[in-house]
Amino acid sequence: MSSTAKEDVGSDALLRLRNVSKWFGEKQALAGVDLDVRPGEVHVVCGENGAGKSTLMNIIGGVLQPDEGEVIFDNRPARFADPLAASRAGVGMVHQHFRLLPSLTVAENLYLNRQPRRFGLFADRAAMRRGAATLIARYGFDLGPDAVVGDLSVGQRQRVEILKALGFEARLLILDEPTAVLTPGEVAQLLDVVRELRSKGRAILFITHKLTEALDVSDRVTVLRQGRRISTQATHLLSERSIAIDMVGREMRPLKREGGPRAEAKTPAPTLSASDIVATDSEGRPLLGGVSFAIFPGEILGVAGVDGNGQTELSEAAAGLRRIQGGAIHMAARDVTRLDVRARRSLGLGFIPEDRLDRGVSAGMTIAENVSVGAYRRRRLVNAAGLVRVAARDAYAAEKIREFDVRGATPRTPIGALSGGNIQKVVIARELDQRPVALVVAQPTRGLDVGATEFVHRQISAAAERGCGVLLISSELSEIFALSDRIAVMFRGRLVGAVDRASATEESIGLMMGGGARAP
Amino acid sequence: MKLLVLPPHFRTAATLLGPPVAVLAGGFALVLAISSDPILAYQDLLFANFYSAGSFALFINRMTPLLFLGLSVILSFRAGMFNVGGEGQLYLGAMAATIAGLASAGAPRPLGLLLAAGAGAATGAVYALAPALLKVRLGVNEVVSTLMLNFIALLLTQYLVTHPLRDPVAYGAVSWMLPASVWLPEIPGLLGATSAALIALAVAPLAWMLLFRTLWGADLRAAGSNPRFAEAVGIDASRRVLEAMALSGGIAGLAGALYVLGVGHRFEQNFSPGFGLIGLTVALLARLHPFGAVATAAFYALVLNGAAYMQIDTDVPRSLVGLLTGFLVLFMTARGRGAPAPS
Repeated sequence: MSSTAKEDVGSDALLRLRNVSKWFGEKQALAGVDLDVRPGEVHVVCGENGAGKSTLMNIIGGVLQPDEGEVIFDNRPARFADPLAASRAGVGMVHQHFRLLPSLTVAENLYLNRQPRRFGLFADRAAMRRGAATLIARYGFDLGPDAVVGDLSVGQRQRVEILKALGFEARLLILDEPTAVLTPGEVAQLLDVVRELRSKGRAILFITHKLTEALDVSDRVTVLRQGRRISTQATHLLSERSIAIDMVGREMRPLKREGGPRAEAKTPAPTLSASDIVATDSEGRPLLGGVSFAIFPGEILGVAGVDGNGQTELSEAAAGLRRIQGGAIHMAARDVTRLDVRARRSLGLGFIPEDRLDRGVSAGMTIAENVSVGAYRRRRLVNAAGLVRVAARDAYAAEKIREFDVRGATPRTPIGALSGGNIQKVVIARELDQRPVALVVAQPTRGLDVGATEFVHRQISAAAERGCGVLLISSELSEIFALSDRIAVMFRGRLVGAVDRASATEESIGLMMGGGARAP
Repeated sequence: MKLLVLPPHFRTAATLLGPPVAVLAGGFALVLAISSDPILAYQDLLFANFYSAGSFALFINRMTPLLFLGLSVILSFRAGMFNVGGEGQLYLGAMAATIAGLASAGAPRPLGLLLAAGAGAATGAVYALAPALLKVRLGVNEVVSTLMLNFIALLLTQYLVTHPLRDPVAYGAVSWMLPASVWLPEIPGLLGATSAALIALAVAPLAWMLLFRTLWGADLRAAGSNPRFAEAVGIDASRRVLEAMALSGGIAGLAGALYVLGVGHRFEQNFSPGFGLIGLTVALLARLHPFGAVATAAFYALVLNGAAYMQIDTDVPRSLVGLLTGFLVLFMTARGRGAPAPS
């Protein structure tokens, strides 16, 4: 399968994997993977979801053990029984989801599990503070040892994680999709940190599926596909296109939306609009502080922003799942502020929630049952007596499975057995079947691979083509720019901007995401 | 790493039948070790229910409330409500049927019976609706509330049967005998076997149909398996939960009513040997499937009654059954690491 000849790295590699395989039950997650990482190298591992990236990193980090093959670290065969053993040997790992205790200080988090002791009993807080300050100073991070982690920004928390992973002696640092949660500005800072670590001779394994980052920061790129290593090449020989082809196994056709509400579709009433909506949490703290927008038929309004600035609440308020304390929501000319989910859906509102398994599907039920919810009467899947016509329901599900290219699925498959991308296809199939006039879409491609992302984008775009007004909430700037006609930014519960895509740049939107500037 | 690949229906059969067979075999090894007459002990345990028509009737009477309560649990659990108040709903249903039966002494034959059975079911339903309302409106944990309501029901019926309703000439704390006009007839040709069994056997497919073949059931299971999903797709989850709990309590209440009307013919204090608790196991072992509950209720009735004969005939104590059923629950609920959880 390998498209490149096995490189002769010799003994200068810090980490060598030879023929590593891993099974989960009957499913092979990794098939004979080789990988070399040298000191002072940033090595990016790319791949679609399910390609085996995380499995591979977990094996190196001691979370999982390989079923076959060997891991050689520092010229010695290594078999890390657990992450602690790996970290003692000098392998530090920064997980995608932070593993910090928000109520403790930076110093306490850094020394979690390895506190210096006084008389072997009490935590030596002074030594901890000194050590933490030394560590922070060594890498020049903007952190204070006494700051409480819960008060830090996401980017700062990540730097605490990195310090924790580095400790004082880690020689190999694994970063698992570190940029997923960061603003563009924070991404740039992170990449600077990575370069700095490289110059200090650390080896860095960087997992990402964002191709620009891969090219930007790395010395070499390894692509995994379906558990196999497809290629390992020096970065200067690569382009985004060549990596994408290796990842997907075929040529990609990036979506170009001509977009814009067509002139004839521009009616006086927006298909979905909000005026000055206010929402607070149970303690009265503001979540949405007067958000207004108007979406016309055939238009996609992109809402960018770093997670946690009110996007979840905005999508729930629009869908009818969250009571608002002020303002109004209209569909066409109709005030739907007081209408529940069911009533709004019957007026033609579709909702693709940000967390598929939370609100999108019932994981224990079958694909047929999940895709048919809400379609039983419309599609005549029940007879006059109210009994489900099972054959008709399964046929309907089979039709949707074909139409939306849901892989590895039959109508009776429990939906929880599918991958994230395929679950998302079922959700979209269900929500688009009623031909919605307005669609609320939140983080539609989170965790999805390149191929599934492309498919989802086409579906959203096609819905807009049919005249549906779309509220697209995403923290993925490339997605916002690929699909939106106008772009706004959520920042601290407020919606900033709404500028035409043509006049927006990633830099200007990125600045707004960080709260740095108002709309031009 | 590669698992032995079996045809799917064979694997299903193996996962369903494997644990009971393994437990019975393991139990036999145990009996072999402690008993001087292991063959007779096991023979009694498994087959004594079929030695005579009389013992078969007792088996039927034991199975009936177990099946009702298993179905009751299935309906509530499928709606995501962990109704552990079956015992209380059963007792109140029995008490309501007793009072209604005593009150309709002069009523024409089927009317009094229907009235008493209906009173039992309705009382059970109302008694289960209370914790459901608390859950839906105020978020009160239903495990705690249904469990606590059991004590209220038990003590209330205990008071009623020891004071106002007590038959002073009878031995023990029992109510007045119900007029024969409200008795539920026996199964024709099977002396002593309550025809409530036939009703229970009819409720099982009805429950299956309701859960798996109606829109209502689909909504109910969606609300039960993922309420936030149900909310997002516009299912009125609260309403489904209330309806399911009313049905669940109604079936448990009916079980109590039919026990009084068909078997006891009066309210007896402590008439239930923990039917409510065993009903939970019946439902869980059946993987919350109504047809499975028929099998597991029959299995429980078989070994519970068989153990009594075993204890009389041999030196093996009936507590063996507790051990066996405990292991059965363990085996049925344990699964290999990494295997998917049951849906």
